[in-house]
Amino acid sequence: MNYPVWQLGFPGGLLIAAVAVLHVFISHFAVGGGAYLVLTERRAYSHNDSELLGYVRHHSKFFALLTVVLGAVTGVGIWFTIGLVSPEATSSLIHTFVWGWAIEWVFFFVEIAAALIYAYQWDTLDRQIHLIIGWIYFVVAWASLVVINGIITYMLTPGRWLETRNFWAGFFNPTYWPSLWIRTAMAVALAGIFGLVTAMWEPSALRERVVRWAGGWLVLGVAALLPLSRWYFHDFPAYARAYFSGIYPAVHHALLGAVVCAEVALILALFALLRPKRMNPVIVAVLLLAGIGVMGSGEYLREFSRYPYVINGYIYATDVRVGQIEGIAAKGVAKTSPWVEGSADNPHTYGRELFAMECGSCHSVAGYRAMGKFTRGWDAKFGSEILLHLPVVRETMPPFAGDEHDRAALGSYLASLAPATPSGANEKQLGQQVFAIHCALCHSVSGQRRPLDLKGTDPEAIAGMLGTLGDINPDMPPFTGTDAEGRALAIYLSSPK
Amino acid sequence: MNLPIPHPDPMPLPGPLWLLRTLLLLTFFLHVLFMNCLLGGTAIALVCTVRRKSSAFSARLADDLGRLLPSVFAFTITLGVAPLLFLQVMYGQLLYSSSILIGVPWLAIIGMVVLAYYGVYFFSMKGPEPNGKARAVLALVVLLLATVAFVYSNNFTLMLAPERWLDLYHRHASGWNMNWSEPSLLPRYLHFVLGALAVSGLGLVAMGLRQQEGGYRQWLVEQGSLLFTGMTLLNFGVGFWFLVKLSGPVRLAFVGGNGFATALLGIGLLLPLAAVAHLIMAKANKSPKRQLAIGVSCGTLTVAAMVLMRDFLRNLVLAPYFNPNQLQVAPQWSIISLFLLLFVAGLATLYYMLRKVAIATKMQAANAQKLP
Repeated sequence: MNYPVWQLGFPGGLLIAAVAVLHVFISHFAVGGGAYLVLTERRAYSHNDSELLGYVRHHSKFFALLTVVLGAVTGVGIWFTIGLVSPEATSSLIHTFVWGWAIEWVFFFVEIAAALIYAYQWDTLDRQIHLIIGWIYFVVAWASLVVINGIITYMLTPGRWLETRNFWAGFFNPTYWPSLWIRTAMAVALAGIFGLVTAMWEPSALRERVVRWAGGWLVLGVAALLPLSRWYFHDFPAYARAYFSGIYPAVHHALLGAVVCAEVALILALFALLRPKRMNPVIVAVLLLAGIGVMGSGEYLREFSRYPYVINGYIYATDVRVGQIEGIAAKGVAKTSPWVEGSADNPHTYGRELFAMECGSCHSVAGYRAMGKFTRGWDAKFGSEILLHLPVVRETMPPFAGDEHDRAALGSYLASLAPATPSGANEKQLGQQVFAIHCALCHSVSGQRRPLDLKGTDPEAIAGMLGTLGDINPDMPPFTGTDAEGRALAIYLSSPK
Repeated sequence: MNLPIPHPDPMPLPGPLWLLRTLLLLTFFLHVLFMNCLLGGTAIALVCTVRRKSSAFSARLADDLGRLLPSVFAFTITLGVAPLLFLQVMYGQLLYSSSILIGVPWLAIIGMVVLAYYGVYFFSMKGPEPNGKARAVLALVVLLLATVAFVYSNNFTLMLAPERWLDLYHRHASGWNMNWSEPSLLPRYLHFVLGALAVSGLGLVAMGLRQQEGGYRQWLVEQGSLLFTGMTLLNFGVGFWFLVKLSGPVRLAFVGGNGFATALLGIGLLLPLAAVAHLIMAKANKSPKRQLAIGVSCGTLTVAAMVLMRDFLRNLVLAPYFNPNQLQVAPQWSIISLFLLLFVAGLATLYYMLRKVAIATKMQAANAQKLP
């Protein structure tokens, strides 16, 4: 409301996800890879293995090229993107954690310098000093994870910060420690995966040694992920844990994806240990994809678990602070936000602007999480009424911020997205369609989600109930269909099969 | 007039304004030095690769720049992060708004920087005989960096012009906007780009001062002095154009209306003149090292004066809408202390690492000389 809305035509969250997944994939490698470099170098010295040393030299250049360039710039990219998509939340994060970020910047600065010196001063520096520079790199790289982890986990579980507004209370929040160790394990696993990537460029005898060594890192990292994930998800807020019970297919798929990818990675890592000769670029490519799969799914689950908030309990995903909702409901959006054009002359345009403001961060009209799919057949009145009950429709949805006039405009706009008049060859078919339009957002007939099992009930009695839905449950919007549609719905509910 | 300026964040500033502003200006000054050397350095490298066949020194400079530019790029970015952080905490509601209005070009900066960065590495790894492809890549890098600078100029002028925001928003809410109607956009951009070329000239002089070999050393100093002098003289004209294009009251502040602003402008005019004078005088001097060093220092201080002037200009333009002094402040002293402690530790670590590299490089050079 406070800020203009970047109307991309698709939810801005998708853009954040794209930049973030790329960044976290490389940045976790940047942490674990630091330890991998320095320990491989030490191993090469202690085994007097000049070939292995040659491999570390090549790997360090690859490492610098990937982490110092793409890793660092995409990190800035996340910052740019969140500022564009969720300016209110970004501003809040900056105000809470500016000094945390300033500390991370110090680590970042030393990290970049150390990475460049490590990768490009092999011939200049004495072995011992070179190793020390490598350790410095690893320590500051991990320290930057220590800092950013506090900010990321705060967004999901701000803990006592909500009452105290204290930096440390927000930083060392309930998911801080499990998240730190799960990310460290991921960093170790990615060090192994990228170690395997560069091993593929080496001659076969050396390749075998490196595959075994890097495979060990991967096994260690992935094996640690399992118990750590349990600890991590155990500390999620109770409402978020409920999302994992299967009610949201996207969450179910992401969870499944993460587990399958981790299993694939573990199996292939063991394969690397046992059959290093047979390791080839195709298997390594599969491992890379599995790594992206684990990382991407994990980040998706964490982000999804924050819904309906972007900062849990403080700012909604719509970039509206919890404390602002009442004020906006009293004054209306047009008097709150300077960014919407007048409403009286063109309610459709106003409705579209409200859609961008209130729905656009997660939904598109016809693409990702398309609203047209949900609003098919809606009438304007139903659209307006259902907006009063969004957190009941989906636990992941923030409440609507606006007055009655705003609801009417947005409801009418939503109803215009996929207009359809319910019809059917017989009353039962018509009733099924009416159910899909008016009830299916929250209910199933006999499924898991709030089943409406009225089989065998007198259709007349059901039709009578349709007029008093609000009395039966204040979370229900009134039935806004025609009398004939009401009758058909009653017949369908009475004998759905 | 009812302007759509968002309310500042309801949370208080987490540190005293003087500290935030000092850190903003200090880190921005360092960022600008590296950014100037990057933009100017890639342009110089491009010219050198074109002239490498006719000039051995050009070929050598292209090689040297190939080695230096990746690190310069790394520190340009690293040093750019900090001022962006401190700017957001003080002026966030303005910066976020203008960034959203030009969202597409603003986010495209990330892609352009990645491409340019890899382009610099490509050039750097091409070895002593860069071919046409390396030249083309370098030309693309210069173009990308110049475009990034232009988008920055757009955003940092648009964040000061809330009267233009609604119009742009209603025209393209998708973020396909630029701040074309800003009268000072072009002169401001040119002023900064020419300044970057001038500063990279100083960089050449500084490189020359570190060289042992006479001919190359003298050539670097000459070329650098020439570049700095030429660009600085041009920039007097462009700077005047920039001044003229500022709105009346703001311009007036710099020409007598405000003592501090006028003094800054005076210093900003005198320092580059002093730098040019020293660089010219050094030419006639048999041991010009000290004079050159003074010239480089005056030029560097010019950048500091410009950074202060730019900050003053921002606050002057914003004065009718917003003054950060009005924001509530609740310093987080415990974490500020930790930051300062780690900042010093970070600098010490950096010093340790660079010192080790310098010692090792010196020893290696000495050993190489000892060999028959």
